[in-house]
Amino acid sequence: MPAEDPVLRSSRREAIVVFSIWAVACAYTVGYCYTFGYYREPGSLKFVAGLPDWVFWGILVPWTTCSLLSFWVSNYLIADDDLGEAQSEEAPHV
Amino acid sequence: MSSLPLELLAPLEFVAQLAPPYNQLHTPAPGIGAMVALVLFIAASVWLGTVAQKVVERSAFIQGYFQGNRGLGAWTIALTATVQSGGTFMGFPSLVYTSGWIVALWIASYMIVPITGFGLIGKRIAQISRRTGAVTMPDLFRARFASPTAGLVTSLLIILFMSIMMIAQFKAGAVVMKIAWPGSGQLAISESQAQVDWIYLIGLAVFSLTVVGYTLIGGFLAAVWTDLLQSIMMIVGVTILVCLAIPAAGGLENASRRAISNVEQLARNQGATPAAAAQAGIQYASGPGLRGDGVTPYLPLAMAFSFFCFWPFAGTASPASVVRIMACKDTGVLRRSIFLLAVYNMGIYLPLIAICICAKALMPNLGGKSDEVIPRMALALTSEFPLGSGGWVSGIILAAPFGAIMATVSSYLLVIASGLVRDVYQRFIHPHATDHEMRRLTYVVMAAIGIIAAAMNIFPVKHLQMLVVFSSGCAASSFLIPTVMMCYWRRATATGTIAAMLAGAAASLTLNLIGLFQAFAKTGQFANFTPYYLLQFEPIVWGLLVSLVVGIGVSLITRPPDEATVSKLFDAPQAKPDQVG
Repeated sequence: MPAEDPVLRSSRREAIVVFSIWAVACAYTVGYCYTFGYYREPGSLKFVAGLPDWVFWGILVPWTTCSLLSFWVSNYLIADDDLGEAQSEEAPHV
Repeated sequence: MSSLPLELLAPLEFVAQLAPPYNQLHTPAPGIGAMVALVLFIAASVWLGTVAQKVVERSAFIQGYFQGNRGLGAWTIALTATVQSGGTFMGFPSLVYTSGWIVALWIASYMIVPITGFGLIGKRIAQISRRTGAVTMPDLFRARFASPTAGLVTSLLIILFMSIMMIAQFKAGAVVMKIAWPGSGQLAISESQAQVDWIYLIGLAVFSLTVVGYTLIGGFLAAVWTDLLQSIMMIVGVTILVCLAIPAAGGLENASRRAISNVEQLARNQGATPAAAAQAGIQYASGPGLRGDGVTPYLPLAMAFSFFCFWPFAGTASPASVVRIMACKDTGVLRRSIFLLAVYNMGIYLPLIAICICAKALMPNLGGKSDEVIPRMALALTSEFPLGSGGWVSGIILAAPFGAIMATVSSYLLVIASGLVRDVYQRFIHPHATDHEMRRLTYVVMAAIGIIAAAMNIFPVKHLQMLVVFSSGCAASSFLIPTVMMCYWRRATATGTIAAMLAGAAASLTLNLIGLFQAFAKTGQFANFTPYYLLQFEPIVWGLLVSLVVGIGVSLITRPPDEATVSKLFDAPQAKPDQVG
């Protein structure tokens, strides 16, 4: 049984982490905004840093976190792999 | 020169006493700023086309013209490979202005787009593309499954979906030129501006010649560089505007409070009870929000989830994005692109939301012209700049969405032309065509596409927008699952992948058609329909689900793929990797 391609292995590992980040971001953002931002009573709205409280905690905070996380993803999670020499264009065959 | 009206700085109570539209910020006429900015942008695009042509000439035609010799760097990949378009500056601000803070949740998944856009399949796509010598997305499917049929089906779907979307953009481009015409009195694209008159026809001719011209000259690199230019213009425009808008509205919290108050006032003016008016006001700053009709919830929970799927996944596997990822220089470029795009997205979308909330505070009743919110804010807030520099600043802001439309047409034009020339002609009709023949045919095809698209917009197709909705929904549902299968699943078969593509498109199309017939049954016309939201989810969610189930199911019941073919792309190279493909 030949060894699995190392780029495939690292890509798949990174894809699983990326999908997990998406799932957590989705669960937190949609969950928080629905719980604290939907069906508010008039007069109940509070503001944090100029934003409605649910926007600050439910969107700005995770957005900032994801941006910081993207720094980690780009510098530490995703490995630099050799993609190989680009094949010169072959004569195509049907 | 016009000045800002006094009520701009008035306390909230004063503003609330006024019945809109009397408390609107005055918008001066656009003057020649927009036209000058547009002409400069066109000139820059043509110049970029000629520079790109020189680069293309240094290499084999197909690789250079359709893929830029796999030489894209981080800035070009980050700022052009995802989904910025004219809508970022027109449709999206209009949504925020109309429905309020809930639109921040609607767009929130852009927080994750940089990570999913490049991290999910980017590296693997780049690798398969290199190993197989693939230049286009159909090339990838054909090589991965050793199946000309898979390549052909991919190509035909891409040509179909993208042609429809591109033709509609020509109309938008012509209208843009008409709007920029000094004295037009309009600031955004609207149906009323699409009436065919001589300014529209001149606009259509100039737009078509320009876009087809620079794309034809410079190919892929011209499209990418122009796209990069408009992305930079967008962020410059948004940064200037947010710095002006927030102080003008007395801070963001004050802007929100004034916007809520204005919405209440509008509701009272329309006969709402005080309780109903207060409810309308609070909906502007909370969920689920209200649509323009003031009754329909804007973003129920299932829709909020749907859009958290839509933006990251629709963009990830779109043909225009995939071909740019295939063209990246190395994995370092992909890595850096993630962070650059994260910073860019934060710098575009959150400030745009803030600007539109400020606009609702300052000019609360744009009526049916909410698409004009950004141009109006730009003109109003820059009118007092010294030495007439405000005209230039607003010109940049007005030209940014125009540039985005040009960039979109340019990239679609290339994908369609490569589909016809490379994936159909060279693959199936004349496999041994020379470089010279391919070049000549590409130019002819591209010019023909431009002529057809322009001709179709002299007498615009009725209900074209309806076809655009169908196409974009079907495209988003078609390609993601097959692309993931292609990258990571050894057992995936050509038949399974084709079935996944067609099933995703069919599911999305069915839900759109049901929505269309429902609208016809209710109103007697097809216009302004919305898709059928099964269990309140967007069609893309069902499209992806159906595509996944069908792709896995059909792959498992069909004969496993040839092990030698799979091994070339899934196993470590044995000796000479350059023999693969």
